[in-house]
Amino acid sequence: MTAVAEAKIRKRVLPSPVTGQEVVLVGVIVVLWAALAVSTPAFLTAGSIQPLLVATAPVALIGVGMTIVIITGGIDVSVGGAIMVCSVLTAKALVEAEVGLAVAVLLSVAAGGLLGLVNGVLIAYGRVHAIIITFGTANLFMFLGLRIFGSGTVNGIPGTLAFFGRGPDGRTLGVPHAFLITVLLTAAAWWWLRHTAGGRHFFAIGGDAQAARLAGVRVQRRVLSAYVLTGLLVGLASCFVIAQGTSTLDQSVGAGKELAVIAAVVIGGTSIMGGRGSVLGTLLGALLVQSVASGVTQLGWRSQLSDLFVGIFIIVAVGADLLRARARRNR
Amino acid sequence: MRPRFTAAVVLTTTAAIALSGCTKKNDTDTAASSGSGDKTYKVAFVPKLQGVPYFEAMNAGGKEAAAALGNVEWLYQGPTQADAAAQADIVRSYIQQKVDTLIVAPNDPDSMAPLLQQAKDAGIHVATADTDAPSSVREVFVNQATAQGIGEGLTDALLKEMGGKGKYAIVSCGQTAENLNAWIKVQQEYTKTKYPEATIVDVVYAGEDQAKATQMATDLMNAHPDLTGLVGECTSSAPGVAQAVKDAGKIGKVFTVGLGTPQAMKPYLQDKSSSAAILWDVENLGYLTAWAGAQIAQGKPFAATNNVSSELSAVAYTEADKMLLLGPALAITDQNVDKFNY
Repeated sequence: MTAVAEAKIRKRVLPSPVTGQEVVLVGVIVVLWAALAVSTPAFLTAGSIQPLLVATAPVALIGVGMTIVIITGGIDVSVGGAIMVCSVLTAKALVEAEVGLAVAVLLSVAAGGLLGLVNGVLIAYGRVHAIIITFGTANLFMFLGLRIFGSGTVNGIPGTLAFFGRGPDGRTLGVPHAFLITVLLTAAAWWWLRHTAGGRHFFAIGGDAQAARLAGVRVQRRVLSAYVLTGLLVGLASCFVIAQGTSTLDQSVGAGKELAVIAAVVIGGTSIMGGRGSVLGTLLGALLVQSVASGVTQLGWRSQLSDLFVGIFIIVAVGADLLRARARRNR
Repeated sequence: MRPRFTAAVVLTTTAAIALSGCTKKNDTDTAASSGSGDKTYKVAFVPKLQGVPYFEAMNAGGKEAAAALGNVEWLYQGPTQADAAAQADIVRSYIQQKVDTLIVAPNDPDSMAPLLQQAKDAGIHVATADTDAPSSVREVFVNQATAQGIGEGLTDALLKEMGGKGKYAIVSCGQTAENLNAWIKVQQEYTKTKYPEATIVDVVYAGEDQAKATQMATDLMNAHPDLTGLVGECTSSAPGVAQAVKDAGKIGKVFTVGLGTPQAMKPYLQDKSSSAAILWDVENLGYLTAWAGAQIAQGKPFAATNNVSSELSAVAYTEADKMLLLGPALAITDQNVDKFNY
């Protein structure tokens, strides 16, 4: 096959740049922010938006990996446990070994990568569905995390990671570093998924793993890499989590975060059945969820209303995905 | 064929559980009636969650009491997250083990009440500590401080910094936590009567999530630019509100107090983002809990004033609400924070 013909094919099968959900999400977020700006004057100020973006970052960042995992037809419910392991390890290193910023980040990312590798190997080569494997490893990771905590909290965490935090050290020209890094990595992932053969293999696997294998995709290796990538991102996100927490880390860290991440991915328009999805949507989904939570608090509404809204978003998003799938079939 | 098979399995399992339930109850009855004379009393305490400094300090106090009393075996196990269902499982396992006294700090008092009834039916003495289950069959509630004492302590400490007036907000944790809600009620009433120029603008619930408490405190400061005070109602939101004030660069403009453990609050007390942590001597609370467990296991009644140990020489007991009271609330500031190692 000549290079020209290959390029032609590549152009033809290029997945659409967006799933359709992003436009809707941008619209919803714009309307929501406008409504909040009108009803609570302080909402659209730097002092309100900056912390909101910082709080969005960990979920959105892990969401990049989770989106790819879900595109392949898998899922990773162990990220909450993995956050616990990475953050307690890193917090202990910061307190006891007084490591610097770079070492702390490397340690956390390496630990996360290792946990992701465990998931990836079991899922790619064990041939058991990802939800079972990661449900198992979620509990293993939680056990490991609690063992490292050792019946106590980690106290007196120094401000080494303030670079990723909510405070003035966490911003350059008003842009929070944690959010900036998340946006850059999301953009890189978007380009990779759309414009490289390797990235598009994930969609092929999620669409039909058997067909992908016959077409020459190294399915197992690809699937493995999706979970390792998620693990690496969990490691980096754990540094964000430490930075935006307090100087004490307790064992509630990471609890329920797997659901927050999956919610962002689903609201972002990624099909939970695999084969279709977008990391841009996930970023917007995470931003929408955090905007709703902040909005509910700023409006003085009852805290549990944000759960209600997130629930509605998930159901609407899944419904929209099903309708899109049906429309495609009928075409 | 399939559904019928499933139904059969379900039926058999249910029958087996029902049968085994009956046998177990009978077993306990005989054990309880034969268990008299000199013996070691098993006193089990189920905290809201295990592994946090607060309950670990209670555990340390309980162990100390067991060693001092000599005839008590102190058992301690809690869920790894403040989850009512997980806690119920642990309570059930202690009922199965036929401990002498079962003491619980319930995550959800309403769902714990029937379990305590079940324990009582099995011949186990039941009590609550730290958090009460008021509508249950518990024989005694070991109270760290009255809701009045804590609510007023928090309000006074905060309003002292706020100059007796202004707007403040409360970041609470679990929405169904009996003790937190009782304190908040006192804070609302006490603020209204004693500080008429001060108002509570909002009460929000962050669960046990520190990052969420911090973000909510940030949102509250944004929603109310004239806010001058924040209360962190539990051990995860107390450092959370202080961190939010610190990150927003509002130390000295927005004051915070909270129910925090000393070592977690220390950095914030030192940089003044937190003015005071209101607490009690948690180890003594654990000591009193174990002592009370041993008393009811032996069927000894409480006096109006009880001499428990050298540090707890006059613990008041009120018959009307069956409550042992540890003492007045304690204000922890940067001056005395180093006295506490938890």
